[in-house]
Amino acid sequence: MSGWSAFVKDLHYAGTAIWQVLLASVVLGAGLPMVFALGVRSLAWGSASEGDEGQGAAARPGNPAGKVLAVLLFAVVLYVLALGIYYIVVGGHGKELAFHGIWPEQVAKK
Amino acid sequence: MWSWGRGAVTLVVVSAETLVLVLVVVTALGFDFTNGFHDTGNAMATSIATGALKPRVAVALSAVMNLIGAFLSVAVALTVTNAVVKTFSAAVKDPATGQVTAPAHLTMGGDALLMIVLGGLIGGIVWNLLTWLLGLPSSSSHALFGGLIGAAITANGWDGVNWVGDGTKLDGVVGKVLLPAVASPVVAALVAGLATWVIFKLIAGISHRSSEQSFRWGQIGTASLVSLAHGTNDAQKTMGVITLALIATGHWSAGAATIPFWVKLTCALAIAAGTYLGGWRIIRTLGKGLVEIESPQGMAAEASSAAVILASSHLGFALSTTHVATGSILGTGLGRPGAEVRWGVAGRMVVGWLLTLPAAGLVGGLMWSIGHLLGNTAGAIVEFLILIGLAGYMFQRSRGHAVGAHNVNDEWSGMPAAAAVTPELATGGVA
Repeated sequence: MSGWSAFVKDLHYAGTAIWQVLLASVVLGAGLPMVFALGVRSLAWGSASEGDEGQGAAARPGNPAGKVLAVLLFAVVLYVLALGIYYIVVGGHGKELAFHGIWPEQVAKK
Repeated sequence: MWSWGRGAVTLVVVSAETLVLVLVVVTALGFDFTNGFHDTGNAMATSIATGALKPRVAVALSAVMNLIGAFLSVAVALTVTNAVVKTFSAAVKDPATGQVTAPAHLTMGGDALLMIVLGGLIGGIVWNLLTWLLGLPSSSSHALFGGLIGAAITANGWDGVNWVGDGTKLDGVVGKVLLPAVASPVVAALVAGLATWVIFKLIAGISHRSSEQSFRWGQIGTASLVSLAHGTNDAQKTMGVITLALIATGHWSAGAATIPFWVKLTCALAIAAGTYLGGWRIIRTLGKGLVEIESPQGMAAEASSAAVILASSHLGFALSTTHVATGSILGTGLGRPGAEVRWGVAGRMVVGWLLTLPAAGLVGGLMWSIGHLLGNTAGAIVEFLILIGLAGYMFQRSRGHAVGAHNVNDEWSGMPAAAAVTPELATGGVA
């Protein structure tokens, strides 16, 4: 294998990997804060609001459904964080996770 | 003792090699320690800047996460050195059956390998300390790789370096160092920018105080994840280097797929202690210098960093936590309309990144030459003393404009160390 052709292969492998990393990172890295932000939004909806400081908005009562929704959304965030921790633990042992639906399973690293 | 004849001489020879091995191990732990404080900011700069965590609490949390992360490393990472230096020959497989007919073996003698590793480690430490003095977040892995490459070129010529791998997977300096360094900050910036933009759309109109409070919790969770991943990845690299040195000198079985327990313990303690010390100069640059951030941006940055780091390790794409964290923080500035990104600071970091490989390589090569001139044992001792001297000098310089938990969040007024060092150093030699 000449140096040049190995170099071209490296470029090719990197190109493929970068796309996959970008895709996975957008789903997890932007998706997780998005779910969290929705949770914050629901929490605000569920809490009695006195309006923003200094804006003189009228007070309004909170909606209990907002609180329930917020708890659900934060639970999703916690689940994904726990998965992240689990992934790191498994990775340290030289294995990785495979998914059946949303439940992870340890498998040997490829 | 000398009158004992050959037996005594053998004894002296053995202990000389053991001395070099001890110096390599101590230097490796020193590198691990600088790795810790150099990278505290990657996980914690955003939480410190937004006040989600008090500075001391943040570095303590990060240190604990790194300690736990380091202990999670079970698989041995001998491939760290092999990624850039040809230390192992590939295992020969029978093409028909796929059976290994000749296992991978070391391509050079134990002494030769130790001297390359020692030079490389010193190159990495010196560059880590200099960039810390300048408040520059730069990759610790690149510093180590640079040092090893420099020492390997000086020792074995250009062919001693694994530049592009063998074409079967992403490997070598190009595949494991250069391409990821270009791609990972861009990917992280895109993801963090998108996350920031979405968050601010979703929380528009909510009381600023209550959203700040909620997002601080999100920041703490995601930053802890980044610290944990860092402990596993980076401590494992030093463990790999020390284990390789032990194998090369016959102190550990080459076939063992495990790390000696004392190696794991000392590496975990070294990286955690370094993290707890806190590289405040770098934390300040990352948290206050690049972008002025609020809690939602902090969470976006750390979630993006965690996702990019974990996705990459899943796909076998080696990258530097520092490049990812910096890209993410920059992205949170780009994703929030009206936020100011200090491009001057970002530009200076990029210059630092470009200089990392050649500068650490230069020191690594120089150190190897000293060892070569003076002979292994005397050379190793002299190299070690030079390292102590340089480290002491840079620590002394840092006290002129000390940055610590008390002033890490002060109003940004330029790179912290710029006034404390000569102009050529402050700009990394670039006017």
